[in-house]
Amino acid sequence: MEGVHENLFLQSLDGKISEEQKAKLAEAMNNDRALKKNADQFVKLRTRLLRKEEDSFGPFFAERIINRIKSLKKEIDYQIFFFFKKYQLAAIGVVVALVVLNIVLSDNLSVKSVLGFEEEQASDIVTIDLYQNLTE
Amino acid sequence: MAEQSDEELVENSRKGDLAAFKTLVIRHEGKVAGVVRSMLGSTPEAEDVGQEVFIRFYEALGKFRGDSAVGTYLTRIAINLSLNEIKRRKRRFSIFSKEEEGWNRGTMDDRKDMDEMITHEFNQLDPDFRAVATLRLVEGYSTEETATILGIPLGTVLSRLARAQKKLRTGLEKHLN
Repeated sequence: MEGVHENLFLQSLDGKISEEQKAKLAEAMNNDRALKKNADQFVKLRTRLLRKEEDSFGPFFAERIINRIKSLKKEIDYQIFFFFKKYQLAAIGVVVALVVLNIVLSDNLSVKSVLGFEEEQASDIVTIDLYQNLTE
Repeated sequence: MAEQSDEELVENSRKGDLAAFKTLVIRHEGKVAGVVRSMLGSTPEAEDVGQEVFIRFYEALGKFRGDSAVGTYLTRIAINLSLNEIKRRKRRFSIFSKEEEGWNRGTMDDRKDMDEMITHEFNQLDPDFRAVATLRLVEGYSTEETATILGIPLGTVLSRLARAQKKLRTGLEKHLN
C-alpha cells in the first residue's frame, strides 16, 4: 500500500473522501491484492487496538488528586508566610535600630524620646487663667 | 439535578470549588488513563503521569479559555507528559544499556496472547509514531483532531500513521493473517 492510495485509504477511515475518491480507491483495491491485504490488516489492527472499555487509574484516583491539590495549596501558603516572614524580621530590625538611635540622640529614656517625639520644654507651656479671662 | 457541563465545572473550579474539579477528574480519568497507558504501558509511572496531567490542568485553569474541549486539552497534556516520560526513561536506560536490551526484548517467544503481542509491538514504536497511533487508533480521534492535538500538519499524521502501521504489521504479520 504505497503513496497516494495509502493516504487515500487512511483518509477514507475518517469518512472524508469524495465519491470519486472512493471509486478510485475501490478500483485500486480490486487491481492490487497487496493493497487490499494491507488495508484489511490495518482495519483488523485498528479494531483490535480501539479502546472498548473505559480505562481507570484505580479506586480513589480523584481523591488522590484533590489531596495533592490541597497539599500544594498548603505549600503555597507556607511559601507566602515565609516570604513575608523574611521581611517581617527585617522590619523588626529597623524598628529596634530606630529606637536605639532615638535613645542615643535624645539621651533620654522617656517613651516620647524613644518614639522620636520632641520633649516639651517648660517655656512651651502656656497657662490660661480662666478666671481672669472671665472677669476682664 | 441536571449534570453540569465541563465549562460550568471549569468555571466553578476557578472559583476554588474543589468538588467541581473532582467531578472533572472523574469524568475525564478514563480518557487520560487510556492515552497514558497506551503511551507508557501499564507501568507504575503511568499513574504518576496521570496525576500530573490533572495537576497541570488545575494550575492552568486560569489560562484555559475553552478554545478546545476539556477532554482534548487533557489529551494534549497527557501526550506531552508521556513523551517527556519516555525521554526520561531513555536517558535512564542509556546508563544501563544492558537492562534496556533485556527490557525491550522481553520474552517475545513466550508471549502467546495476541493482545500482549500487539502491546509489545506498540511499545516498540518510535514515541512520535506511538502518539499518532494512540490518538488515531486507540482513542479513535480523527486525523484532523490528531493533527490539532499534536500540533502537526495533517500530512505528517498520515505519514506517521502509515509508518506505524507498517512497523506493527511487520511484527504481527503472521497473527494478522
